[in-house]
Amino acid sequence: MEYEVRVEGLDFSYENNYILKNINLSIKEGSFVSIVGPNGSGKSTFLKNLSRYLKPQKGIVMLGNDDITKLSQKEISKRLSVVPQNILVEFDYKVKDIVLMGRHPYVKRLKGETPEDIKIAERAMKYTNIMEFSNRNFNELSGGEKQRVILAQALAQQPKVLLMDEPISHLDLQYQVEILDLVKKMTLEEGLTSIAVLHDLNMASAYSDYIVMLKGGEVFCKGEPAEVLTIENIARVFNTNVSISINPATGKTYIYPISTIPKKKRDFAVHIICGGGTGVKLIQELAAAGFTISTGVLNIGDSDWTISKEYELDVAEETPFMAISQEAYDKNLELALSANVLVLLPVYFSKANIRNLKMLIEDRLKDKTIYIVENGSFEQRDYTNGEALSIYNKLIDRPNVIQIKEEQLKEILIKADENHDK
Amino acid sequence: MTNKIINRLICFNILLMVFFICFIISVRIGAVDIPLEEILKIIFLGESTDNQIILMDIRLPRVMIAAVLGAGLSAVGGVMQGIFKNPLVDSYTLGMSSGAALGAVISIVTGVGVFGYATTGAFAFLGAISTLFFVYYLSKTKNKVSINSLLLSGVAVSYFISSLISFIMLLFSNKVEHIVFWTMGSLSSATWQKFIFSSCLIVPGVLILNIFARELNIMSLGEESAHYIGVDVERLKYILLTVCSIIVGAVVSTGGTIGFLGLVAPHIVRLIWGADYRRLIPYSAILGASLLMLSDAIGRVIIQPAEIPVGVMTSIMGGPFFVFLLRKQKSKGA
Repeated sequence: MEYEVRVEGLDFSYENNYILKNINLSIKEGSFVSIVGPNGSGKSTFLKNLSRYLKPQKGIVMLGNDDITKLSQKEISKRLSVVPQNILVEFDYKVKDIVLMGRHPYVKRLKGETPEDIKIAERAMKYTNIMEFSNRNFNELSGGEKQRVILAQALAQQPKVLLMDEPISHLDLQYQVEILDLVKKMTLEEGLTSIAVLHDLNMASAYSDYIVMLKGGEVFCKGEPAEVLTIENIARVFNTNVSISINPATGKTYIYPISTIPKKKRDFAVHIICGGGTGVKLIQELAAAGFTISTGVLNIGDSDWTISKEYELDVAEETPFMAISQEAYDKNLELALSANVLVLLPVYFSKANIRNLKMLIEDRLKDKTIYIVENGSFEQRDYTNGEALSIYNKLIDRPNVIQIKEEQLKEILIKADENHDK
Repeated sequence: MTNKIINRLICFNILLMVFFICFIISVRIGAVDIPLEEILKIIFLGESTDNQIILMDIRLPRVMIAAVLGAGLSAVGGVMQGIFKNPLVDSYTLGMSSGAALGAVISIVTGVGVFGYATTGAFAFLGAISTLFFVYYLSKTKNKVSINSLLLSGVAVSYFISSLISFIMLLFSNKVEHIVFWTMGSLSSATWQKFIFSSCLIVPGVLILNIFARELNIMSLGEESAHYIGVDVERLKYILLTVCSIIVGAVVSTGGTIGFLGLVAPHIVRLIWGADYRRLIPYSAILGASLLMLSDAIGRVIIQPAEIPVGVMTSIMGGPFFVFLLRKQKSKGA
C-alpha cells in the first residue's frame, strides 16, 4: 500500500454553495499532515468528507485500496478515527468506559467486549498516560486530560488514519505540545497517518511533514512546511503580513505576525549598514513603525539580506562571499544619499566589507546624521589589521555622528521623523 | 474485579427486593385489605375465598399492569434522554402523550366502536404512533433528523394537540369527565386483556431497547462522534424512536398519560448506579415498575373510598423525591 489516503477531484457543496472545489491529494502512510487556512476555507468540511460524515458531490476518497463509499460505517471506523475540537458528554461516564467505547466497531452485538478489547483499551490509556484517572468521571477532568481521553478512545479503534479537527485550540500551551507530541510519536512509532486541521501555523510548521494550505475551498498550495509557509503565501491566503525566521533550535520555519495597527507610512528614510544578522531585529521594528528602510551592502543569502527581501526593501547587494564591488558600493552610496539618516550596526569588518565603512566617511555624506550602535569594542570586530579601526575613529570624530544603544534607536528615529515633519 | 461484580449483584438484588415488596404491598392493600396468607392460598392453592374475585379479576391485573406500564415508561424515558442528550426529556417529549389523548378523545366524542370495548385504547395507540411519525418527518431534512428540530417540532406539535383537545372538550362538555381520565392517567379499569395487550408490546419493546444500550452510551458523546466510532446514527434514532413510540402508545392506551415517572426513574438510577445504559435500561424498568405499583397502591387507599388517579400520585410522590436526590448529589459534589 503506497498511499494510505488519496483524494481525487473532490467537490462538496451545501445547496449550490461550493465549499470544496477539485481537491486532489495523496497522503503517505505514516506522515503527519496539517491542513491550514483561514476560517471558512473548508478545512473542517474537508475532514468531514474524508471521514464520510459528509458525502462529496464529486470525486473519490480512497482509504488504502478501498473507495470509502464502498465501506460500511463500522469498517471505516476500524481504519480511521476522528478527534474533534472538544467533546461534551451529557451524562457521567468513567474515563475507561469512554475509552472502551472506541472498541465499538469490533464488538459483536449481544456479546459485549472481550478481554482482548479491554486489553487494547488499556494499552491506549497507557500510551496517552491517563491510567491514573481511568476510574474518574470524564466530566471532572481538565480540558487537556479530556483531550487525552478522546485520543485514547481514537487509538482504541486501532486506526490507520487519525483525523483531528483543531485538537489543541482550546488547550494551554503545555497541553498543546503534549497532545501533538503524542500524535507525532504515534506517526513515527506505529506508522499512523495523522491529518490535522491546525490554526497555529507555528505548531503546523513544527510538527508537520507536509502542509496543505486551503483558500476558498481549493488547495492553494501543498508541500513541506518551509515551501508552504512563506511570507507571500501567508499574505495571499490569510491576508496578513508576517515575517519569518528559522527557529534555531529546530531548524523549522517560525512565523511572526506583524501588527498592522501603525499603518501610518512614514516618508522618513533610514539606510542601515548591517550584515550577519545584526539588522534583523531593527528592520522588523522599524518596518512595523512604518519607516522607509534600505540596507547595504549585503551579500546575497546573508540573513540580513533575506529579511530585507522579505520586507521588499531596497538593498545594495553583492554576490555571496565576494568583496564589495564598485557597482554595489555606488548603489549603497546612492541609497545612503537619499535616506534621511544612516545607521551603522555592530558589524564585523573584513577586507570584503570594509568599503561599507569607507563609504560613511565620504564627503558627500558629511551632512547626514549617522547613528552608530556599539555593543562592545570595535577592535574585537576588526579583522582588517587596524584599517577599519582608523576609519572608524575618523568617523566618530565627525560632528553629525551619534553613538547610541540599539534599544533607544527606534524612539529617537520616531522623534527625528516628527521634527523633520515640522 | 470480583468485588465489583459482587457489589453489582447486591445492588441488583436490593432492587429486585424493592420490586417484590412493592408488588406485595400493592396486591394487599386497596378498598379491601387482603391478608398475605389469603393471597398465597388463592394463588398457589387455588382456594376460593371471599376475596378471590377481587384479587384475581381486579387487584392482580391492575398491579401487573402498573408494573408493565411503569417499566415501559421508565425505560423509554431513559432512552429518550440518551437520544436527545438532554436530562429534561421524558417519555412524552415528542408529543406522543397528547397524540394518544387526542386519539382517545376522538373515539370518545364520536362514539365509534370499530374495535369494540377496546376502541378508545386502540385510537390512543394509533394517536401516539402517528404523532411520533408526524414529528419525525416534520424535522427530517435531507435524510437527516436533527435532534434539535425533533425536540422543537415535538414540543410545538404537543402544544397544538393539547389546545385541540381543550377545544374538543369545550364542544363536548358532557363528556369532559371521561376525557379527563386520559389526561390524568388511571389504572382503575384494569383487566387481564389490557394486561396481555400492553405487556405483549412493552416487554419485547424494552428488551429491544436494551440491545442498543452500547450505542446509546456512545450517543452521549454526540452524534458526530458516535458516527466516527461506527454507529449508524440515523438508523439508530429511527429504530429507537419507533420502539419508544410503540411502548408509549401501549402505555397511554392502557393507563392514560401517567406523568413524571419517565423523567424521574432513569435519573434515580443514574444517581445511584451511573449512566451506563447497559444497567440503566433494565434498572430503570424495574425501578419504574416498583414506583408505579406503589404510587397506584397509595392512591387507592389514601382518600378512601375515593381514589387518586395514579398519574397524579406519581407526580406528587416523584417530584419531591427527585428534588431530594438532586440536592443530595449536589452537596456530595460540593
